[in-house]
Amino acid sequence: MTVDLSVKIGKLILKNPVMPASGCFGYGEEYARFFNLSRLGAIVVKGTTMRPRPGNKPPRIAETPAGILNAIGLQNPGAEEARLRIGQLAGYGIPVIVNVAGNSKEEYLQVIQTLEKEEAASAYEINVSCPNIKAGGLSFGTDPGVIYELVSLLRAATKKTLIVKLSPNVTDITPLARAAEDAGADALSLINTLVGTAIDIQKRRPLLGNVTGGLSGPAVKPVALHFVWQVSDAVKLPVIGMGGISSAEDAVEFLLAGASAVAIGTANFVNPLVCPEVIDGIAAYLQENNFNSVGEIIGLAKKGKAG
Amino acid sequence: MRKQAMEIVQQEKVGKDIYRLTLAGGLAAVPGQFVQVGVSSTADPLLKRPFSIHYCNGSRLVLLYQVTGRGTNLLAAKKEGEILEVTGPLGRGFPLPEEGRAVVVAGGMGAAPLYYLLHALKSAGRDVTFLYGARTAAALVLQEQYRSLVRHYAAATDDGSFGRQGPVTELLQEELSRRPGVVFACGPEPMLRGAAAIAAGFNSRCFVSLEARMACGVGACLGCVIPGADGRYRRVCADGPVFAAEEVFPA
Repeated sequence: MTVDLSVKIGKLILKNPVMPASGCFGYGEEYARFFNLSRLGAIVVKGTTMRPRPGNKPPRIAETPAGILNAIGLQNPGAEEARLRIGQLAGYGIPVIVNVAGNSKEEYLQVIQTLEKEEAASAYEINVSCPNIKAGGLSFGTDPGVIYELVSLLRAATKKTLIVKLSPNVTDITPLARAAEDAGADALSLINTLVGTAIDIQKRRPLLGNVTGGLSGPAVKPVALHFVWQVSDAVKLPVIGMGGISSAEDAVEFLLAGASAVAIGTANFVNPLVCPEVIDGIAAYLQENNFNSVGEIIGLAKKGKAG
Repeated sequence: MRKQAMEIVQQEKVGKDIYRLTLAGGLAAVPGQFVQVGVSSTADPLLKRPFSIHYCNGSRLVLLYQVTGRGTNLLAAKKEGEILEVTGPLGRGFPLPEEGRAVVVAGGMGAAPLYYLLHALKSAGRDVTFLYGARTAAALVLQEQYRSLVRHYAAATDDGSFGRQGPVTELLQEELSRRPGVVFACGPEPMLRGAAAIAAGFNSRCFVSLEARMACGVGACLGCVIPGADGRYRRVCADGPVFAAEEVFPA
């Protein structure tokens, strides 16, 4: 018997709940050399701004216990060039979700307007939470009023699925989640990276050229799981859970915590085949535990919590 | 390019903190490419480590590495029979010239990927000079192995404990003034810049292999970039690690 792995995120039907996380998969071509990308539930491409961004000064990566700090600084070729690369993904027959970033509300809008004509761009993930750019990014992501205004503006500009990616670098995430929902978002994704830093004690200098970076990898998984649990309780929107997922077991934890789909980021760097391995592993878990569909386990860990 | 589990068939100490690791399994790589090797079966340390390919063929992969930190310490502790996860081959290797002489220049552990290059040049019937530099005689590991593959060979050490006393780039200067050739270099960055400048002075083409801390190793994360000669960033893992010298070093 085969299990039904499909899930619905806004207007998108994903054949399985697994996608790579933005910024960890480029525009797909690097990993297409390892496996057929059509196996994925969706592809999420790199954070895209209107104009090309060179990114931050190196070093950009520092390894930390069970994780990495990165300060890439949204290096990307700009929306026009990104549109061409996204078009090349059409042949895989799966939804392409474009992560959209900017320094101003107008820039987010311009990126969406540029990509609106590209059929292969199925959905937008609004990055209001990048910790590595000076203006925008994180500053957008910490104010519910700003999120509401931004998402309302973008909602009016597109009928495609709008996903808002939330920051964990806040004292209370639920007002931000509700602001995105009230403004018409179709789904939420979380978490982005946690702000951190690391220092080289021999050189007595920060390890990152940007001083601070975003922490990701297994180290952040319990934090991410907590936020997913909390946000999926607070809103009706589907949640795409991410943060340290490296195995099918990790992914199942997020589904049980209330995520409708999962994204895999840093683990791609360690294991280029992690996405297809997680898809197979989720199917095996469902079969072994006599579930017919992935929908049956979404949020299931909450149902027994009173007992 | 793929991910495979490879068994350690030999782990030999060939110098102070320098090991030669032989893994069972084939790899079709060009000289100058690299592999990512998992050094831990747990999440800490998390990332695979990039190593240049010292030699490979249809049945084995050989890495030559120096213990410099946590990852290489873990690797050096691995025993014969243990299994390592290896991704590769990765990156762009050395372009093999259609014809003409080759001058291959190594600085310290930079010699590691050049051994495989010397093999390829020998198979192609090229006239090759190998110039091998290091801090001391003890760091000039596996000299006989390199010497056996080339027609012309010379060494240099910083302390004069073997060969010429001084930088290996002095040998390159003399070599190119005697016999022109395409230059292939791997070693510390100042040495590579020096080699590139000397080659440019003789109108010789020069290819350099660079090193960087990496996360993905495949070109996706943009973590290992360096500024090119035009100021635009290059990914060491995917645009390199071998670059035409003029692409990464301003004239």
